[in-house]
Amino acid sequence: MNGWMGRIIKFDLGSMTQETVAVGDAIRRQYLGGRGLGVKLYSELCSSSIDPLADDNALIFMTGPLTGTMMTSGRYQVISRSPLTGTICDSSSGGNFGAALKGAGIDGLIIQGRAAKPVFLSVHDGQVEAHDASAFWGLDTQRTQKGIQAETGSKTSVSCIGPAGENQVIFAAIMNDKDRAAGRGGMGAIMGSKNLKAIAAGGVQPVTIGDPTGYKALTARLERIVDKNPVTGKSLQVLGTSVLVNIINAHGMFPTENFRRGVFNDAEGTSGEKIAETLLQRQSSCYKCPIGCGRTTRTRDKNGEGPEYETVWAFGAHLGISDLTAITEANYACNELGLDTITMGSTLGCAMELSETGAWKESLRWGEAGKLRDWVTDTAYRRGIGAELALGSKRLAAKYGRPELAMQVKGMELPAYDPRGAQGMALSYATSNRGGCHMRAYMIAPEILGHPVFLDRFSTAGKAELVALFQDVSALVDSAVLCRFLQFAVGISTFTEMLRVVTGLDFSDEELMTIGRRIYTLERLFNNRAGFGRGDDTLPPRFFNEEFQTGSSRHRRVQLEEMLDDYYAVRGWDTNGLPLPRTLAELGL
Amino acid sequence: MACRCRERWRSWGCNLAGKIAVQFYGLMRLRLQTAAVEISGDDLTIMALLRLAEEKTGQGFLDELLDKEKGLLTGTIILVNGENVRLGQGLETRLKGGDHVDLFSPAGGG
Repeated sequence: MNGWMGRIIKFDLGSMTQETVAVGDAIRRQYLGGRGLGVKLYSELCSSSIDPLADDNALIFMTGPLTGTMMTSGRYQVISRSPLTGTICDSSSGGNFGAALKGAGIDGLIIQGRAAKPVFLSVHDGQVEAHDASAFWGLDTQRTQKGIQAETGSKTSVSCIGPAGENQVIFAAIMNDKDRAAGRGGMGAIMGSKNLKAIAAGGVQPVTIGDPTGYKALTARLERIVDKNPVTGKSLQVLGTSVLVNIINAHGMFPTENFRRGVFNDAEGTSGEKIAETLLQRQSSCYKCPIGCGRTTRTRDKNGEGPEYETVWAFGAHLGISDLTAITEANYACNELGLDTITMGSTLGCAMELSETGAWKESLRWGEAGKLRDWVTDTAYRRGIGAELALGSKRLAAKYGRPELAMQVKGMELPAYDPRGAQGMALSYATSNRGGCHMRAYMIAPEILGHPVFLDRFSTAGKAELVALFQDVSALVDSAVLCRFLQFAVGISTFTEMLRVVTGLDFSDEELMTIGRRIYTLERLFNNRAGFGRGDDTLPPRFFNEEFQTGSSRHRRVQLEEMLDDYYAVRGWDTNGLPLPRTLAELGL
Repeated sequence: MACRCRERWRSWGCNLAGKIAVQFYGLMRLRLQTAAVEISGDDLTIMALLRLAEEKTGQGFLDELLDKEKGLLTGTIILVNGENVRLGQGLETRLKGGDHVDLFSPAGGG
């Protein structure tokens, strides 16, 4: 079999038994791998009412047919029902771990059950073995990775949780290859609930290539394209993702103090340009990645990776903090403890507004950088004020009677783009299958960055079609599995070529778009069964009722309803957001 | 047109009266080793402003923003008082004293 290793293992931590899961060629072609195949398998294993932290919930680590082959193919996806949102969720991480799973001879690993005591799993030569992890329980992610590598070999790649995952914080991340994170949706909490500290993978089993000549030619061409592209060949390398700080701020949509303003006056001090000038030691890359957007940085006392754009914002403008060192060290703390930086920062912003309004008696003040690291640490251990912050913004705001102050969709906190500044992004947030996330349809690309075409960000015309298209392409890329940043340089036809040369199958652009649509619709069906519908495809009231008074997104509100009807029509869903029978028939669902 | 983002510009110490303020970001800033210049002039097009800014900084930078046919590269962002010139007259957009121009070479992230 070309591309796929042809082996998916289900491991039950309760009985410590494993079995091979049979996946037929047709299913593989319909869902590819990664997110798509993961969601397909998950939907068959678990009901939509399952408690995400229950023993019988499944947690799926999945690669795709391109994993371990061409550029940016080291990624993997983690799929389950999110304890943060209750939706279906896939969380993606870079580094090498995805390629390591393939090198270990498997496409994916399904975990069920709960171990009686802490364990880690090692994967090698297509076999999974459980090991006592008592010595690692309680350790941070960095020490865990080093310790497990000492047992399993320095060339193994380790995916693990830190104290936040052990303590089942519902936005705990899974960390691998030092500081790469499957950050969103609380997948780390599910690992913790299973007493699973880590998975170590390694090996040299090759991925067989269907068309070696075509593969070689395409690889060389891709390298030239990525190198020549100003975004992938220059900007991301030199300035990383935080180059967006000044761009988004100049558009008046850089969320400041819990989305109350769109311009952060101290943005310059937290920008990618400033990071390059001050903290940056070197760029860092994932597996076979010529882009190298990662930032290896050093503050006076510590070193690590980051901050990326979303994190700079979450601990910066969102909290009124301009101290780049404090922001960076809060990022390091999240990496070490295993926490999603976006939800952590956003929850702090919600807490600060709750505190300011008097709804919550705790004193958290805007701009208070000195306590950032303590707040993060306390959250991971669910102690003191951290026990409340560990609820995430939706539950915290509801507890104190001000649910509207949580800047979230379906329970997941919004990232660093105010939707009043980009109508398409607003629709993307509202209809995201995993909640308030920018990665389902990154409408910032056309609405702000002008990729692949420039669109009027304040117009709603045509946005529904494009959001649905972007969602489908993202589902496809997440299932192949590749890094989204390749999309700045290449389009769907290149992904088709990549899949053709690796698998040897005659994929067409149309077939791949149908695959993306099928995956997105399957996720929607899961969410529908879990109780999500039109009423959940919305945004916090702030975006409909409040306007900025300054900046270039001033006097704007989100116009969601008119786009939502169009979106459902484009998707072939009814007016309540339920896929129509004919849509399901078209997609083979 | 009055400045719409004066607070941000003040942080750069620009004296805006009668001048057009030009702000460089990203790779251009690193290349030019400067964050901002002021250009005297009125009723200039963006294109004319860019050439004057090149003269003022003493370095060429148009290749960061424009393609070989001197059109905007995919991803180039030029804001005049916060508004993207692609929605108006593009490089022919006319400027006057007091205007603020933000120049971003193609960038991405997320």
